[in-house]
Amino acid sequence: MIALLLAVASAAVGESFPAPQDTLGTPPVLTNLARQTGTVEVRLVAAPARLSLVAGAESDAYAYNGRVPGPTLEVWEGDRVIVHFRNELPESTTVHWHGLHVPFAADGSPFHPVPPGGQRDYVFTVQRGTAGTYWYHPHQHHRTRDQVAKGLYGAIIIRAPNDPLAAVPEKLLILADNRFLPGGSLDITDPHSVQGRVDAENGREGDVLFVNGQIMPALRIRSGEVQRWRIVNASAARMYRLAIPGHRFLHVGSDGGLFERPVETDDVLVASSERVELLVRGSGAPGSQTTLQALPYDRYVPQTRPTDWGLTRELLTVRYANEPPLQVPIALPATLRRIAPLDTADVTATRVMVLTQGFINGKVMDLGRVDATTTLGATEIWQIENLVGMDHPFHLHGFRFQVLDVDGVPVAYRSWKDTVNVPKHGTVRFIVRFDDYPGKWMFHCHILDHEDHGMMGVFEVR
Amino acid sequence: MSPVWTNPRPFKWALGVLAVAACLGLLIACRTPRVAPQEFVADRTTDGGYDQVLRGRKLVVGHACGECHGGGDDDPAADGWLAGLRKPEDEFRIGPCAASPGAEPCFRTRPRNLTPDNTTGLGRFSDRQIFNALRFGLRPGETPDVEITSTIPGQGNFPEHPKYLAPPMPWPAWRHMSDQELWDIIAYLRRGLKPVRNRVPDSEGPPDFWASEFTVQKIGAFPATPFPTDNERVPTSRREQVVRGRTLVLNHACGACHGGAWTPADEGWLAGMRSPDQEFCPSTASAEKCLRARPRNLTPDSATGLGRFTERQIFNALRYGLRPAETPDVEITSPIRGQGNFPEHPKFLSPAMPWQAWRHMSDQELLDIAAYLKHGVKPVRHKVEDSEAPPDFWLRHYTVERVIPYPALPFPTVNETSGRKP
Repeated sequence: MIALLLAVASAAVGESFPAPQDTLGTPPVLTNLARQTGTVEVRLVAAPARLSLVAGAESDAYAYNGRVPGPTLEVWEGDRVIVHFRNELPESTTVHWHGLHVPFAADGSPFHPVPPGGQRDYVFTVQRGTAGTYWYHPHQHHRTRDQVAKGLYGAIIIRAPNDPLAAVPEKLLILADNRFLPGGSLDITDPHSVQGRVDAENGREGDVLFVNGQIMPALRIRSGEVQRWRIVNASAARMYRLAIPGHRFLHVGSDGGLFERPVETDDVLVASSERVELLVRGSGAPGSQTTLQALPYDRYVPQTRPTDWGLTRELLTVRYANEPPLQVPIALPATLRRIAPLDTADVTATRVMVLTQGFINGKVMDLGRVDATTTLGATEIWQIENLVGMDHPFHLHGFRFQVLDVDGVPVAYRSWKDTVNVPKHGTVRFIVRFDDYPGKWMFHCHILDHEDHGMMGVFEVR
Repeated sequence: MSPVWTNPRPFKWALGVLAVAACLGLLIACRTPRVAPQEFVADRTTDGGYDQVLRGRKLVVGHACGECHGGGDDDPAADGWLAGLRKPEDEFRIGPCAASPGAEPCFRTRPRNLTPDNTTGLGRFSDRQIFNALRFGLRPGETPDVEITSTIPGQGNFPEHPKYLAPPMPWPAWRHMSDQELWDIIAYLRRGLKPVRNRVPDSEGPPDFWASEFTVQKIGAFPATPFPTDNERVPTSRREQVVRGRTLVLNHACGACHGGAWTPADEGWLAGMRSPDQEFCPSTASAEKCLRARPRNLTPDSATGLGRFTERQIFNALRYGLRPAETPDVEITSPIRGQGNFPEHPKFLSPAMPWQAWRHMSDQELLDIAAYLKHGVKPVRHKVEDSEAPPDFWLRHYTVERVIPYPALPFPTVNETSGRKP
C-alpha cells in the first residue's frame, strides 16, 4: 500500500457540517426494467426535442429520452444488457457503445442503421475486467457529427465489485461544446461556407462549453476532500487539456478503466471521445473557489488554426465549502488493479495505418470494401502513423488495446484504451487481441467531421 | 490578398518540386510479418528500372528542386539534398509581407523533405499521391490515393474543395510535364534517394489552402492551349523544334517570372515584368541593399526583347548564366572562367534567374528553347529596365566552387541509392 494523503468525505468521518451541494447536475441513470439480477434492460429513445441548451433560448435538438446529455447506462461487470432502442428521429441513426467489447451486431456501427421509426435491440454482456467510464453516441455514416451536435450522447459506467476506489465520492463530468446562432438555434454551418470548410478541417468546435449539459456549473468540494471524477469528452473535435490552477491531479484511469498505478500530473489531455478518471483533492481554503480549465492545446494545422486557440477556457467552478478541512487520510493500494500485458510474442502481424487529412491509407471509407482482415484470436501490433500537422484521435471499435509507445518512446504506464490521440506527425503503436467477436469493425479518426468524411476503414475479424 | 508570387524577400528562387515517397522498409524492426498499408505498392508507371531513375534525376536537377527543398543548389552531392528546409531563414514569406515587412497576412511556407523517409519525408505517400501533387498541385496528405479524372474542382473526382501546395511551389508549371516525366521524377525520389530524417514544420496558409490563388483564370488551362496561341506565331521552319522548346518553356515556369503568365495563352506571356511588384531581390543582397532583378522581355522584339540576340547567345545564357548582351556570339568551350574561351570577366545573369538548374538540360533542349523564343513567340514591344547588379556582375557569387559541379556528379552520390528496388 502506498500512503497518499487523501481524505474521504463521507458520513463515516462523523462531521457535523452539512454536505456541500453542487449546482452541477448529473444525468439520471437509465431505469432497469429487468427483474432478474445480472440483467440490465433499458429503453432508449432518440427523438427531436425543443430544449433550452443555453439560457433564455430554446433550440431544436435531438435527445435521448428527452434530455441532453442522455441518461447514463450504469451496469456491473458480467451484466447482460438489453437496450430496447427506438428511433423517432426524422433520419436514420445508430447507437454505438463506444469502447465496449460487444458482438458485431450490437456495436451500433454504420453497418446497422436504424431507420426513422425503426427499433433495434442491442444485446450484449459486459465483460469482466472492463469496469470504467464509456459513452454512447450515434454512428450514422455522414451524420454522426450533426447528430452528436444536436445532443445525442450519454455516459456509460461499468462498475466492478472489487473497485479499490469505490468509497471515494465520484462525479461524472461529460464535456461537450456547441455553437449557437442568435436566438438559440444550433449553428450547423453550410459545409460550403468558409466556416464550414474550417469545420471540415478542424472538426466543428463551439465557443460554448458544457459540463453535463450545463454552462459553467459549480461543483462543491470540501477542503481536504478527495473526489473521483469520471470525465468523458463528448465533443466532436475539441480536445481538453484539463487543469485546476494550483492543483495536481492523481490520474487513475482512462478509456478502459483504472490504471495499474496512479500517475500524478498537473494537467491531462483528453482527446475527442477519450475518457479519464482523476482523483481530485480539495487543496483550496474553505470558502474559496477555483475553476476547472481547458488550457491551450495546439492540435491544428496552421491554415485553419483558430485565432483564439491560445485562450484558456473555463469549464466548471470548483467551490470550497466554508467548512473546516477534512483530515482523514486514506491509503491507495500500490496497484489499483492488475492489467496483464498483451504478449508481443503472440503478435502475428504489424499493421500500418497511415493517417492523412481525411484519409486512412489514402482512402475514404467504403462500407462495401474490407480494408484489412485478421483471424479471431489473433494478436497484432497496429502502427498508426500521422503524416499531417494535425492531431488525429484514432478509435478502434469492439476491441480494447494497450498502447506500446508514442514516437518510439514507451508509455509510462499500462492501460486499456479504445481511442488514442496520434499527435501531429507522430506515430503510435498499440497491441490488440481480437477475441470473441467476429465481424466487420470500424477504425477511424474520432474528429467527427473527419469520420463523417470517411476517414475510416473496415477491419474484418473472421 | 496580393498575388502570392509577389516579390519574395529575401529572394530565393521560387522553385521546388513536390515529390515522392517510397516504402523502404524502414519501419521498426520486428520479427513478425508486416502488413503494409493497403495497396501502398509501387505504381507500375514508376517501375521502369535504373534508366527511369536516371531520367527522373535529370528532371529533378534541371527543374531546380534542390534550390528550395534542400542543399541550396542543384548538386545531388550537396549536404541536405532534397531533405527539406533546415534553417528558418530559408522560409518563404508569402503575401503582402513579401514586399512590405510586417504587412498582413503573412504566410511562412517551408519546402518539405522530399526524401523517402517514412516519418518526415514522402515515404508513406503513394506514387499516385505524388503524381497528383505534381500534376494537380494537391497536397498528398489531403488527397485520396486515386487517379484524378478532372482538373476542375467538384467535377469527376477532383476534390470539391482542393487543398493546394503552398506557394512558391511552381506546380502550375510542373504539371505540363508529360505523365512519363512525372513518373520518372517519382521513380527517382522513390528509389534514387536515401531517406533523411528531417522534420520540416508545416507551411502556413489561408483557410482555403490557396484555392483562390490557383483558379484557371490565374494559372491558365491544363492542358495548355495548343500551339499557336494569340501570343505565338508559326515559324517558317523547324516547327517541331519550336514546339519542343515551347513545352520546355512552359514546364520550367519561365512565364511565371517573365510576365506573370503561366501558359502561352495568358496575357503578358514572356513579355517581361509588368509592374514593380514583379521585381526580385536576390538573397545575396540584404534587404537594405536590394539589387533589383527584373525579369526581362523574352519575346523576339528587336528593341526590347531577344530579337537582337542569336540562338547561341540565348543558349549561353541558359547554359552558363552569361548575359547575352555582354557575351560574344560563340560556342563556349569550357564552363570554367578563364579556361577555353569562357570569359575572363564574365557577366552573369542575376541570381534570381535559375540558370544553374536550367543548364542541366541537354544541348538540344536548350537550343529548342532558344528556337521557340526566337521563332515561336510574337514580338512584344515592352521595355523592362535593366536589372541591378554589383560592379562585378555577380562574379563573386558565381565562384568556381559555386558553379561546379557541372555536369552534375554521376549517379549515385552520397545522397543517393543504387537506384534499384530494395
